[in-house]
Amino acid sequence: MSNEVFLRRLLRVQNLSVSFLQAGTFHQVTHGVDFELMPGKVLGIVGESGSGKSVTSLAIMGLLPKDFARIETGSIEFQFAGRAVELVGLSKDAHRALRGKGMAMIFQEPMSALNPVMRCGEQVAEAIRLHQPDLTEKEVQDQVIALFKEVQLPRAEVLVQSYPHELSGGQRQRVMIAIALSCNPALLIADEPTTALDVTVQATILALLRSLSESRGLSVIFITHDLGVIAQMADEVLVMYQGKQMEFGKVSQVFQQPKSSYTKGLLACRPVLGQRYERLLTVKDFLEASSEEDLKLPVQAPDIRTAHLQVLYAQQPLLEVHDLKLWYPQKEVFWQKPSYVKAVDGVSFTVFPHETLGLVGESGSGKSTIGKLVAGLQEPTSGSLSYKGVVYDQMNGAIRKLFRRKVQVIFQDPFGSLNPRMTIGEALEEPIKVHGLRKSASERQKRLVELLEQVSLPASVLRKYPHEFSGGQRQRIVIARCLAMEPEFIVCDESVSALDVSVQAQVLNLLKSLQKELGLTYIFISHDLSVVKHLSDRVMVLKAGKCEELQEADALYLHPQTAYTRQLIAAIPETKFY
Amino acid sequence: MLSYLLKRLASGFLVLFGVVSVVFFLFNILPGDAAQMTLGQRSDIASLEAVTKELGLDQPMYKQYLLYLNDLSPLSLHNYTSEEQNKYGFTALVPLGSNRWLCAKAPYLRRSYQSRQTVNQIIASALPGTAILALSAMLIATFFGLLLGGIAALFAQTWVDRAAVSLSIVGISAPSYFASILIAYLFGFVWQRYTGLSMTGSLYEVDAFAGRSLALQNLILPAITLGIRPLAIIVQLSRNTFLEVLSQDYVRTARAKGLSEWQVMQRHVLRNALGPVVTAISGWFASLLAGAVFVEYIFGWKGLGKVTVDALMKFDLPVVMGAVLFIAVAFILINILVDLMYAWLDPRIRLQ
Repeated sequence: MSNEVFLRRLLRVQNLSVSFLQAGTFHQVTHGVDFELMPGKVLGIVGESGSGKSVTSLAIMGLLPKDFARIETGSIEFQFAGRAVELVGLSKDAHRALRGKGMAMIFQEPMSALNPVMRCGEQVAEAIRLHQPDLTEKEVQDQVIALFKEVQLPRAEVLVQSYPHELSGGQRQRVMIAIALSCNPALLIADEPTTALDVTVQATILALLRSLSESRGLSVIFITHDLGVIAQMADEVLVMYQGKQMEFGKVSQVFQQPKSSYTKGLLACRPVLGQRYERLLTVKDFLEASSEEDLKLPVQAPDIRTAHLQVLYAQQPLLEVHDLKLWYPQKEVFWQKPSYVKAVDGVSFTVFPHETLGLVGESGSGKSTIGKLVAGLQEPTSGSLSYKGVVYDQMNGAIRKLFRRKVQVIFQDPFGSLNPRMTIGEALEEPIKVHGLRKSASERQKRLVELLEQVSLPASVLRKYPHEFSGGQRQRIVIARCLAMEPEFIVCDESVSALDVSVQAQVLNLLKSLQKELGLTYIFISHDLSVVKHLSDRVMVLKAGKCEELQEADALYLHPQTAYTRQLIAAIPETKFY
Repeated sequence: MLSYLLKRLASGFLVLFGVVSVVFFLFNILPGDAAQMTLGQRSDIASLEAVTKELGLDQPMYKQYLLYLNDLSPLSLHNYTSEEQNKYGFTALVPLGSNRWLCAKAPYLRRSYQSRQTVNQIIASALPGTAILALSAMLIATFFGLLLGGIAALFAQTWVDRAAVSLSIVGISAPSYFASILIAYLFGFVWQRYTGLSMTGSLYEVDAFAGRSLALQNLILPAITLGIRPLAIIVQLSRNTFLEVLSQDYVRTARAKGLSEWQVMQRHVLRNALGPVVTAISGWFASLLAGAVFVEYIFGWKGLGKVTVDALMKFDLPVVMGAVLFIAVAFILINILVDLMYAWLDPRIRLQ
């Protein structure tokens, strides 16, 4: 038996360690990774950023940056044309010969992974010509069309003539898959192929990859940070954390009886749609837990929640939005009447004090635009907006300044939101000075320490610069800066989307506890329905600038009223092995 | 696409109209009597008055301006007399009564005060020299610039890269009047027996026996001299854009297909990196068409730059005005061409 397995195995990675050049010396980034892959199977590699999952796949492909990375130890054995090839130490040209024919790869960003100035069909044809030089041009073109049909692209004959920018994100990813399949590889490495896509599109791409794996007997290495996707896609899973292999085994086994506490934490830190928890467990909780008692999830009882909601909605609304519109005129030719892109098209809602209203929708649904309009960062085309009963348009100088201070936004990208040349202390102090909230320097200093305490950061960070912090820490700093203005109302625009799941859970917990402590009101915007639902009291589903549905969060999940909401919920990959 | 082109042509026409007006009024407030200059030393009152009348200098300024516009416009009003017919060489289209006709003609740039040749003729005879010089300089600069830039990018942070960048800095820093004297002296005089090139000479040599003959070897030194600075700039520019494009995801995709580094460069990197290079090339080409005065002077190359400077020194205003207008037209056309080229290079631009 073992002998047979040995013969059929497509890929065997043993004790693989890769190091990267950092500040002049090589630092090991993966430590002894071991796994193997059978033909026709899907292996999921899951981990957070910096866990070494992409490095491992690039090592297999031979695409590690040659000057900055080297393989320290280990072997990668790949079955090609009936014999085993050792990939570690293979010459550059020999490795290139394997790419395309033996193994192919698709990447995260379908927007940038295709050459913008080459027709889609040509990008596929190029790979076919390269590896099958005997084919006539007619045969090449026929193959391209056949591949486009195989990856279920509509109107294949038209799309081969299109340029990448004329296609949607999902279609581009299909073109990428077509390129990868063009030379009939035995192994396909998919590096976060659906992370940049909307959840409904993700579902279709996953289904496609699954069916290709079955119909072609293709082995797939699927790299992702999303356990739900792994549960749906993979036969086996490799869990990585900080360059180390935490676990490797059958998906059902790893998900039902995770051995390492990291895996347990990873499984627990995603908000689950069917439950309502007070807070989420984080990976840290699992790594530091001393007893089972620490890891009990605090579930919110239904009657407490009902009471909580009753109190909420008995109040006067804090924010009232009526028939909000933002239309961008589009002129094709100057004598034509302009048509409009309707980013927001007649949306009305109210937000009550201490409430969290979730906005959810796919890209282009107008959710972020509504956030900007509410915060006064953009002027609407029409519609009215009133805060505490005062109409936004009628706010004069001093009141508008107060409104700007009381209503704050936390954006997605914690890297771009902090000025790299300002220390954390300066960044936090600036808004306090601008709004004259603390007069003396010593009072301000005291306030800064207090703010950092609120977001669980030590006072020592004040002198440091943003680049010294991780994404999660930066997002905490951004939150602290936002709190410095003593806001009442915060618009969180995809505030946790750029963070790793475990860090995401920490920030979500922080937002929730801050709300309790300071009596904040949130509009929480995200493409991720499960995150929105976890945090929100009510959720509004948006589609193409219009409100599809506005309901209490649990009711929305249990009894969605519109087909679109049902479709959104169905598309979310669930970690169904609980 | 067509409506875009029409829009660009219309705005180009407006720019040209502005240039014509500025040129006309600027040169008309300059001191100096055109009639006096036309006649030179041997002038008497009678012929001075005759010339003043012929040039329309006795008319008020606005009439002179309208007359100038009428001369320039391809569609213009003229009296159907043999005198005017000779002067403008028009084709009468529509009669407008009392011997006035709407006519079509080539723009008339008037005559040189000095040689009495038409400015059209002067430009036409100087243009081939300039155009060929500019074109060959830019071809040298583009070809070697992209080549060196590409090599520097592929071998970034090695001695090859550093050598290419340092050399290009030398090229950018060398002033053209100094570089041309040095190159003319070294290659046309000191090492003349090895190179076989002469220090000066034009595109056409006039020989007492053989008559006019093409002398392409005279092109070599001025073209290289003129190409050095654009070459150096293209090296740096293309190196940086190549490096940027090489770090793009789609280059990784191309490598993942199994293309060789050369194929990746040629098929995926080059076209994506050309945008900024095209901008630089077109700007340089247009200004070289305006005449590379120093280089033309030092190498004795008969071109537009030399003609213009000569005319300027002698206050030969029609020639200067004609040359300025011609250069303006060249700039406008090249810019339109560049925008069309962008659209060809990058399909994303076509959409807008």
